[in-house]
Amino acid sequence: MTLQECYAAMGGNYDDALGRLRSERLVQKFVLKFLADGSYDLLCRSLEEKNYEEAFRAAHTIKGVCQNLSIDKLQASSSRLCESLRNGYSPEADALAEEVRTDYGQTVAAIEAFQKESAG
Amino acid sequence: MKKLLNSATRFLTISLALILLLTVCIFSFLAFFMSGKSSETISAVGTTYMTGMGEKVTQHFATTIELRLSQVDSLVGSIPPDSASASSLRAELARNAKARDFVALAYYSPTGEFDMIYGEKPVLADPDSFLASMNNGDKKVAVASIATGQKDVLLGVSAEYLMSDGTLSTALVASLPADYIADTLSLYSENSLVYSHIIRRDGSFVIRSGDAFRENYFNRIQALFEEQGESGEQYIRELESAMDKGEDYSALLVFGSERRHLQCNKLPYSEWYLVTVLPYGELDQAVSDLSHAWLYLVFLGCAVVLLALLLVFWQYFRLLREQMAELEKARKEAVHANKAKSEFLSNMSHDIRTPMNAIVGMTAIATANIDDKQQVQNCLKKITLSSRHLLGLINDVLDMSKIESGKLTLNMDQVSLREVMDSIVSIAQPQVRSKHQQFDVFIHDISTENVCCDSVRLNQVLLNILGNALKFTPDGGLIQVSLYEEESPQGEDYVRTHIIVKDNGIGMTPEIKEKIFESFVREDSARVRRTEGSGLGMAITKYIVDTMGGTIDVESEQGKGSEFHVTLDLQRAETLEEEMILPEWNILVVDDDQQLCESTTSSLKSIGVKADWALNAEKALAMLDQRAKARDNYHIILLDWKLPDMDGIAAAKEIRSRFGDETPIMLISAYDWSEIEAEAKDAGITGFISKPLFRSTLFYGLKPFVNSGDTHEELQEVKCADFTGRRVLLAEDNDLNWEIANELLSDLGMELDWAENGRICVDKFEASPVGFYDAVLMDLRMPVMTGYEATEAIRSLDRPDKDIPIIAMTADAFSEDIKKCLDAGMNAHVAKPIDVREVARLLEKFINERLYRT
Repeated sequence: MTLQECYAAMGGNYDDALGRLRSERLVQKFVLKFLADGSYDLLCRSLEEKNYEEAFRAAHTIKGVCQNLSIDKLQASSSRLCESLRNGYSPEADALAEEVRTDYGQTVAAIEAFQKESAG
Repeated sequence: MKKLLNSATRFLTISLALILLLTVCIFSFLAFFMSGKSSETISAVGTTYMTGMGEKVTQHFATTIELRLSQVDSLVGSIPPDSASASSLRAELARNAKARDFVALAYYSPTGEFDMIYGEKPVLADPDSFLASMNNGDKKVAVASIATGQKDVLLGVSAEYLMSDGTLSTALVASLPADYIADTLSLYSENSLVYSHIIRRDGSFVIRSGDAFRENYFNRIQALFEEQGESGEQYIRELESAMDKGEDYSALLVFGSERRHLQCNKLPYSEWYLVTVLPYGELDQAVSDLSHAWLYLVFLGCAVVLLALLLVFWQYFRLLREQMAELEKARKEAVHANKAKSEFLSNMSHDIRTPMNAIVGMTAIATANIDDKQQVQNCLKKITLSSRHLLGLINDVLDMSKIESGKLTLNMDQVSLREVMDSIVSIAQPQVRSKHQQFDVFIHDISTENVCCDSVRLNQVLLNILGNALKFTPDGGLIQVSLYEEESPQGEDYVRTHIIVKDNGIGMTPEIKEKIFESFVREDSARVRRTEGSGLGMAITKYIVDTMGGTIDVESEQGKGSEFHVTLDLQRAETLEEEMILPEWNILVVDDDQQLCESTTSSLKSIGVKADWALNAEKALAMLDQRAKARDNYHIILLDWKLPDMDGIAAAKEIRSRFGDETPIMLISAYDWSEIEAEAKDAGITGFISKPLFRSTLFYGLKPFVNSGDTHEELQEVKCADFTGRRVLLAEDNDLNWEIANELLSDLGMELDWAENGRICVDKFEASPVGFYDAVLMDLRMPVMTGYEATEAIRSLDRPDKDIPIIAMTADAFSEDIKKCLDAGMNAHVAKPIDVREVARLLEKFINERLYRT
């Protein structure tokens, strides 16, 4: 699996990321680091604890990271979740959070698959 | 409205007629009343005057008679009867009497005989009463005729003289001519209206004056009345009864049209009565002249008042009609506006429904074909387009409602016209390309690139106008944007900025042109139905321009195209512009627009570069040839992409083949060059400079050639500055984001320090030596302390470098957020994802600005 294929699998824009980070090496480096990013865990935890302010910030961070890495799909869903939490909890947040979970799962799965292949 | 006007007209007419009638009545009444009053007053004055006059004449008579009687008395006193002989007595008396102007003197016997001393012998008219008075020892006056037919007045005083017949007289009688009495009493005068008679009890005249010729005054009165066919009996009776009672009598005799005032007084020392007459004839004439004059004046006054009234009414009527017309106009306008709003609402609902339907429909199709990637992508593309369109519509409506509720305000900020133009050009480029339109940007006479303005709103205005031009210009059409500056009438601190957007598109009908800036109006004909938009764009544009104190004019002809001209007086921004000086190069500018050539060469000159220009490739080649022969080649060539004889790429090829690869060739163009980049590079183009060619555009575009003798520079690196040795503090809570930023920015040579949140950022900055950091890049959403709070904390520190440039970096890009950043004290704002060039540009700008300031 190439990095491009990985991007396609997670609904990202590889060319965009390459344009920003300027080398495949860097893109790869940061994409792999995405797995270690704690924002998603923070989001899930905050939602469970109903700490929506913190959840908002976590969603915002995910959005920021995805913007930088051009992971468009997750960026879009996290952005929507972020907006729904901007002024505290709103009813659609649960559905949007579910969407983020799905997209995050998809993203992580793609990256892990890539990681496995590039390592192996 | 018509009915209202008619009823108002009727009311006005009727009230005008009534007021006119009333005025005429009042004035007429006044005239007649005053005329009656004046004749009454004249009568009253006459009565008073006549009474006084009668009394005065009576008194005068008494005085005169008393004087004369006392003279006679003194004759008797000074020449007593027994003082001398009879003859000498007579001579003495005659001498004395003549000296006192008596015309005759006689002794009067107790039997009533006159013994004349001198003068003519009188014949008494009424001898009995005179004799009785004399014998009684009284003093008496009587009238007598003398032989000549004249009348004399006799004054008798008791005295016993020895008469010629030897008997003793009973009185001494002296005569005066009757005329003397009349003259003395001024009974008649040519200059006076008043004349007097003296009559006896029976009416016979003692002294007659004026035009009286009868012997009896009563007869005279009777005759005067009879002339008019009336009877004066009543007055005669009244006069007689007053005489009997010894009272004064005063009456107004009216016969025919004549009025006379009669005054009768008893005269002392006689049986006479003084009748004084005042004919009103002449007085009446004077009074009637007066009342005529008065009447004329009254009617004149009346006429003037009427005229004034008419004028006032007419004016009022006119005003009323005007007001009605205004009212009608306002009503129509209100109805029109209301209708426009309703139409707008219905259109807008339709307009909103169309993309909504597309979104809903495409979503359904995509769901149905979730496995067909191609199909889903297609659907999503359409959904994206529709939602963008929808967002545009809603933004317009929101803007309009802001405007309508007066909440639209300007956020004044320093704006670079170059950036504004660059941004609208780059936004226009994709559309220009897809419609194959010809697009050009001209600037000239730019004295100030940095001005104070609301950049967001200015962009909105320009994008609205340019968007319309792009929208309404068919494929292959021409669109030109011009920008130039001139002196502002508002003073030296301002610069008048003209922006003209011209196209040769479908243009507008005069009706639409008139309404284009009205709210809720849109040309709703078939030919524009397929074009999108809320129809509010131009109204918003107009409003914004008005709020900025500028004007917007439009020239348009259907089928020929439109031209929008925005004029703004913008304040010059106080910036320390980087000193822009390039080496003394020779540069050749090749463009088919002479104005652009001239403006560009003058801009180049101002940054220290000598420049020539050519209007076409042929001329340019000739000039290059000449220079080559003189071995004085141009350092750089600026070549327009579109030239009349051959395009820029062909020209570049030609130049390369003839003169080699030495000289850098920069292609100038308002188009997006990404598509032709490869072709251009193959043709030997060194780089691109985007129109419009501001001084700074030229400077930054040509600056890379300063130190590099090598002509082939890497295109992308043109704008990236060198940050070696610069230290930047980056506040970012996410380590992945931090790493990315660190990686990218470190490449520019700067050193970055990481602060995991706002608190740490403030602490690190506070702990650093003054001037250690050159800038702070600040994420906004951080735990513990947000970017806003951190900025405020840094700004409130007591350090000389607390004005360090702070640039916000955030994933939110709402204009409210940007404003909040600036309000918190940050210098600028960049949106995530991180754009190294943008960050570098801002860092360079603020760091340099600060350096210049210190």
